Amino acid sequence: MKKAVKPEILFFLLFSVLVSSLSQAAEFTFTAIPDQDTARLEQRFSKVADYLTDALGFEVRYVPVKSYAASVQAFKNNQVQMAWFGGLSGVQARLAVPGSVAVAQGMEDVRFRSYLIAHHSTDLQKSKQFPMEIVGKTFTFGSKGSTSGRLMPEYFIREKLGKSPEELFTRVGFSGDHSKTIALVQSGSYQIGAVNFKVWQKELEAGRIDPKKVTVIWETPEYPDYNWTVRGSVDQTYGAGTIEKIQQALLAIDDKALLAAFPRQKFIAADNSMYQPILDTGRAIGIFR
Amino acid sequence: MNASLGAGDALLSLRHEDVAYSGKIALKNLTLTIAEGEKVALIGPSGAGKTTLLRRLYQLDPNNCAFVHQHHVLVPQLSTFHNIYMGRLDHYSSWQNLINLLKPTRSAMQEILPIVQKLGLEEKMYTRIGELSGGQQQRVGIGRALYQGGSIIMADEPVSSLDALQSLEIMQLLVEAGRTVVAALHSIDLSQRFFHRIVGLKHGSIAFDLPVRSLTEDRLSRLYG
Amino acid sequence: MLRTSLYFLAIACAAFFLADISVTTLDPWQEFARMGRGLLTPDFFNLPDFGQALFNTVSFALVGLTIAVVLGALLSLFFESTPVRLFCSFIRAIHELFWAFIFMPIVGLNSVCGILAIAIPYSGIFAKVYAEIRQESDQRPAEALPPASTRFSRFCYGTLPLIFGHLKDYTSYRFECALRSSAILGFIGLPTLGYHLETAFREGLYSEAAALLYSFYLLIISIRIWARAKFIVIPLLISCLFISWETSFSLVGLSRFFLYDILPWPMRAEGFYVGTGELVLVPLELGKWFWDIVVSQALPGIWNTMLLTQIALVATALFTLATFAFASRRFFSARVTGCTYLLFVVLRTTPEYILAYIFLQLWGPSMLPAIAALFLHNGAILAYLTANNVNALESTFDAAQGRFNRYLYEVLPRCYGHFLAFLFYRWEVIMRESAILGILGITTLGFYIDSAISRDHLDTALLLICITAGINMSIDSFSQVIRKRLHISGHVASRIIGPGESGS
Repeated sequence: MKKAVKPEILFFLLFSVLVSSLSQAAEFTFTAIPDQDTARLEQRFSKVADYLTDALGFEVRYVPVKSYAASVQAFKNNQVQMAWFGGLSGVQARLAVPGSVAVAQGMEDVRFRSYLIAHHSTDLQKSKQFPMEIVGKTFTFGSKGSTSGRLMPEYFIREKLGKSPEELFTRVGFSGDHSKTIALVQSGSYQIGAVNFKVWQKELEAGRIDPKKVTVIWETPEYPDYNWTVRGSVDQTYGAGTIEKIQQALLAIDDKALLAAFPRQKFIAADNSMYQPILDTGRAIGIFR
Repeated sequence: MNASLGAGDALLSLRHEDVAYSGKIALKNLTLTIAEGEKVALIGPSGAGKTTLLRRLYQLDPNNCAFVHQHHVLVPQLSTFHNIYMGRLDHYSSWQNLINLLKPTRSAMQEILPIVQKLGLEEKMYTRIGELSGGQQQRVGIGRALYQGGSIIMADEPVSSLDALQSLEIMQLLVEAGRTVVAALHSIDLSQRFFHRIVGLKHGSIAFDLPVRSLTEDRLSRLYG
Repeated sequence: MLRTSLYFLAIACAAFFLADISVTTLDPWQEFARMGRGLLTPDFFNLPDFGQALFNTVSFALVGLTIAVVLGALLSLFFESTPVRLFCSFIRAIHELFWAFIFMPIVGLNSVCGILAIAIPYSGIFAKVYAEIRQESDQRPAEALPPASTRFSRFCYGTLPLIFGHLKDYTSYRFECALRSSAILGFIGLPTLGYHLETAFREGLYSEAAALLYSFYLLIISIRIWARAKFIVIPLLISCLFISWETSFSLVGLSRFFLYDILPWPMRAEGFYVGTGELVLVPLELGKWFWDIVVSQALPGIWNTMLLTQIALVATALFTLATFAFASRRFFSARVTGCTYLLFVVLRTTPEYILAYIFLQLWGPSMLPAIAALFLHNGAILAYLTANNVNALESTFDAAQGRFNRYLYEVLPRCYGHFLAFLFYRWEVIMRESAILGILGITTLGFYIDSAISRDHLDTALLLICITAGINMSIDSFSQVIRKRLHISGHVASRIIGPGESGS
């Protein structure tokens, strides 16, 4: 052991030199928020990366992240130049990086919705009216940084009931993502939950939901959600018009297998102003300052 | 070396001195002189102040004294060589000491070899002393004092944890290790056998200070009584 | 000692009444059935990037720990200086996950981030423990050296050889902890086993999750085989060579983080929405910003964190006292102790997040699942250490008959001091770990930090992290005062714990 210390120090020095000498690769990278089916993020998005490499004529790589916050931080620090964000994380990212633009969204994202779901023991049924009976129950959101699992449901709850979730519910949890929200409400650990409608549909089709245990009780009004956002500096680094090219490449995707990664039917053009409602909502409940 | 002093000259002396140990007075009004060439044993019941007196004497002339410690102050993880070498750490630079710790240098080995031979430990030169017997460890302790040098050898209970046979060996080595030897002992037998002058301590004072031939049974039984 | 223990028990009881505890069971059985099926049918052949994840888990731990050993050893030599002590206390008061969050914007989410997130807090831990081992070592050999020897020589000859074995064993014990930390770092996206474990678990792919968990158990159990002091250089070299050292370090990112993102919001507010990034100094607004965070987040966070910590601490103690005997050869046959040993490995290796999730299913949301997760995890560690201690005690052949009598009269009085010392070390650990159980909706400090990060309010996050570190530091020094007053120390025992035992 005594002798072993010396090579250790040597290697430490060697590698600190190595690390500091590594220059930044000018590779184009993108990431995506881990909102669902996170076990196959790599599989889902590496196909998208291949497609973009072909379409754009330079190397595009997908970088996986594990949380909404990490995706925003990576975008902020230019560790990725583009990202598939949720409504909320997209606004966060564009505020933090002036000049960045939303270039595309899914067809469904123009009119996105969240569901409030309830455990059967609450005896709540699906209704058009906002279910006032949820007051005093236990409640779980999805991730803290999610638009459909947190921001918009919270906004509508505040709007309908005039109080914060902490005041309305006996307990407010954050399951982390949509799948766990469903699992926790299905087991009755939480009585009510808020979930992304696309994820709900997908889990229902996959047979992971027992309709006798957990049901949708209310659907939120529509709001804009997911979007592709690109850093403004991309045009300088990769040549003028690159952002435009990226947008065209995204809009041109018609391979069902690629679109299933999101899952969306088609991408359509988007711009920053479409997400003003998200910014306003976020400010109203203190997520944006 | 105090070469200017002739045989029989006073090397260490205390006059009417109180010695405090951790705030309490342990030795009262003490007067003692040790001359060159003397072999002095300090005896007395536990707590009489033997160790305190020994330390005080050491402080009178630390550069000229070599202390034989009890074996628990040796470093069991290090070899005989290193434990002896440690007697002269102050003679070398930190750098030399570091090198000798990792790999003993030839010159240091040559200095220490005669001492090890004298102690009969040649074969154990590079053995970790944690693996040596109590007697061997105590010899290493003497080796360190020898290497340290100085005209006065001091020892505090050097044989307290050894059996009778080993004790005799060690005491022999000890009294031969220096011209002047001062040792605290609790064996009356050994002190009479190896020392010329016996100082009896009781309750922090000197009860008697006699040549060994003048020591009577009566005196001894009163000391421990 | 008994009196101190009773005080802690009383505080925990009071906290239990104040805490938010309830049981709302509905029907967890469907989910449990799926988990059970997963545990019984682990799927080892369908794991994505398993080899890479395993390699990363070991490499981060090994390289991070090596850096920490070097830095910690250097810092420990200056530990008598108050600034150094405070600095070490601060860096170890912040959870690895939060260190990773801090490094993420600077170096990116990659190996370097993971290694630093382990190396920094572990340096603080090593500095402290190495210094304590040195201070508590036998001073007599050093005092017996010639008075004029230099400090360095005195240390090399009189102290280092005496404590080297302790240092080595403590370090190898920490290696297991570093492996756990490394795996947990996967939860925020570093490519270790925890990444895939959390993903599989979250997605409900319990067969994959089980396979990952089992591999992790095997990794921990087999440490004593592959991580011997003599051979550790080889895996270390391999790690250094094959790890991806690529970082996205950029000065822009660094300065953005330190000179913009973490500055209090009122300074940035004006320039933020117009996009100019302009900074202004508004002292009054700053005060209000600070006060708002303290009142609305820090204080409730501290309250809940303290309640949770105190209850979990005493529950850990009770669990340990009730179980360590089953892992000790003093009391039971090899078969019983072997099974208990495995159980302890399972409990301490299973991430607390997963334990908490299981109890959340069982009892519904409240502080209860958090308490259970914390005390099972920490109790398993403590019981293992205590059992090792007890095994090393000398026993007389005519020791009391009957296990219970032996436990009460022979063993407990002898090991209680060490046990308490360990428990007090664990105190700050439990508090740090209470930070990561936000899923339960318990508003601990960690919950607020996580919220602030997810809102991209890094200034708030950093302020809360500093407040958490402050609380942790005061608990640390308080526990030190208690340990000093009771004259107890864990280090004598650290010699006989951990896998290093076989190598020494």
